[in-house]
Amino acid sequence: MSLTIVRLYHDLLGTYGDQGNAEILIHRAKARNLDVELVEVTPGMAVPRSADIYLLGGGEDGPQSAALEMLKSDGGLNYAAAGGATVLAICAGFQIIGSALPDANGQMTSGLGLVDAETIYDSSPRSVGELVIEPNRGGLPILTGFENHQGLTQLGKDMPPLGLVRSGVGNGFNKQEGVWHGNVFGSYMHGPVLARNPELADAVLQSAIGPMPEFEDLFAEAFAQERRNTLAGG
Amino acid sequence: MADSLRLSAACIAGALAGRLSVSFGRGRGETLSGRVILALDPSAISKLGAGRDIILVSGTNGKTTSTKNLTNILRDFAGEGVSTSESGANMPAGIAALLAQKPRNRFAVIECDEMYLPDVYRMLSPKVVVLLNLSRDQLHRTGEVRKVASLWHETFTRDDVTIVIDRDDPFLEYSVANAGHVIRTTFGGRRHPDAATCPNCAAILDWSTGDYSCPCGLGSRLPDVRADKRLTGPQRNTVLVIEAARLMGAEILADEAQLLIKESPDRVHEFSADGKRVSTHLAKNPESWRQALGEIVADQVVLSVNARGIDGRDTSWLWDIDYSQLIGKRVVCTGERRLDVAYRLNVQGIDVSVASDFTQAVKGFATEPIQAIVSYTAFQDLLTAELGLSKGKAGSR
Repeated sequence: MSLTIVRLYHDLLGTYGDQGNAEILIHRAKARNLDVELVEVTPGMAVPRSADIYLLGGGEDGPQSAALEMLKSDGGLNYAAAGGATVLAICAGFQIIGSALPDANGQMTSGLGLVDAETIYDSSPRSVGELVIEPNRGGLPILTGFENHQGLTQLGKDMPPLGLVRSGVGNGFNKQEGVWHGNVFGSYMHGPVLARNPELADAVLQSAIGPMPEFEDLFAEAFAQERRNTLAGG
Repeated sequence: MADSLRLSAACIAGALAGRLSVSFGRGRGETLSGRVILALDPSAISKLGAGRDIILVSGTNGKTTSTKNLTNILRDFAGEGVSTSESGANMPAGIAALLAQKPRNRFAVIECDEMYLPDVYRMLSPKVVVLLNLSRDQLHRTGEVRKVASLWHETFTRDDVTIVIDRDDPFLEYSVANAGHVIRTTFGGRRHPDAATCPNCAAILDWSTGDYSCPCGLGSRLPDVRADKRLTGPQRNTVLVIEAARLMGAEILADEAQLLIKESPDRVHEFSADGKRVSTHLAKNPESWRQALGEIVADQVVLSVNARGIDGRDTSWLWDIDYSQLIGKRVVCTGERRLDVAYRLNVQGIDVSVASDFTQAVKGFATEPIQAIVSYTAFQDLLTAELGLSKGKAGSR
């Protein structure tokens, strides 16, 4: 079985190491004997429409606006997501896949609308620090990551978050963090989030290809456990 | 009169506090001394700097080394007293302390933290500012590279100062866009990993030639100095240091300059552990890690990563680095965040294990040569332990 992963504009949305999410998905997919292809989409390239997983990372305000405009005019990511492709979008990427967000000049603009989520920039201090959330869904354990964002994101009332905040800020509304709607995952957690949470990496893979055999990855599990023990007392 | 008395009193109290701090074994006392001075006279920095020839050095990587290098060159060529921070203190308190120490020294070479540079620049009237480079570092504290560049862009508007930059870094070219006098040095252009878009107009930068260009004109100013494309990061910094020294009147002939560039100091220190010597690089962000990885030739490598404040509390940047250089070598990871880096290497298919501390890591290797790359606080801990050992009081801090 084969799997195609698209990493979108990692030059623009690679400020916070989220490009590592692709490496982790490849690592865990190969361990299940899947053939994996990584497509790097750079500015000017068309976004493939038939891939399985699309990844967006965090970036600075100007590059975020540039990426959003290119994704809007290309249309490929919206097409793929409407067809059920898996999307994992972190931080600036999470804001991009929502319904509205401020552009580089602070004016509200429409997002890609893959999820009902509106981002605002208010006067509150930047949210910076370790983030711990409880998903209570999909069999996921406590998840940890590092957040570093100015914007706060309000989910529409029928939008399920990725989890509820135990410590940290997250979306900044109703103790919610991220979004997990169908096959679309959004989060403010860096780390990269899939390095620190192998169970989430598998949830992302499974949403694209269905059930998979177990994979015992000692380094990944030791790392995830060390972070959880340190930040949430186990 | 009252004003100069106030400054004198502040400096005396500061020096006393510094000496007390040293005698209680709490470092060199610069920071405490400076805090006392600034508490008693908030305008001490501008007063202490008045009438002196000041050079500020800032940038993400190589500040401390370049400041020392420039100080040594000026001491050799100028034959006059040069004030500088011996410990690399680079925030206002440390700067106040170094200026107070020998107030009659004509020259002061001052390392300045990127975020404090605008304030320090306005308090002093430097003759020369050296901007080495700007890349991702301590994102939890300084924010994004573009924010630092914007801050600098707003700062450098005067024309009574000369700013020396590496113009191949688009963030630096943007930082000096409004400055009157700039010495632009080029090393033939090289892709900046954080500059996919223009810091000035946010358009996608065209890097197809190996150098950047933008419809808004950023980067179109002709360089003043052209240097060798093959130079390493520390060597590039030395080229800028030489230009700064020349601006201060040092006569450096071409062959002397070549020698200085060839022998550029680097932040490498030889530590001993388990009876073996370990050649250790200090590296603290993606760019300095890439440079340090390029220096790894041994087959046995120790990596030590912490995530205390100055290291950057978010370790995600470890995933920005390509570790291919380590494939086929034996790597032991240590430090408080050893699992972060060990898992990263494991995913890249590198033979890796973990150890509880630096000495245990070195014990894993039977023989020399061993090389290490360690993060900022891990390096400081090793230095402190080494100092403690040589004084016969290991582990005092």
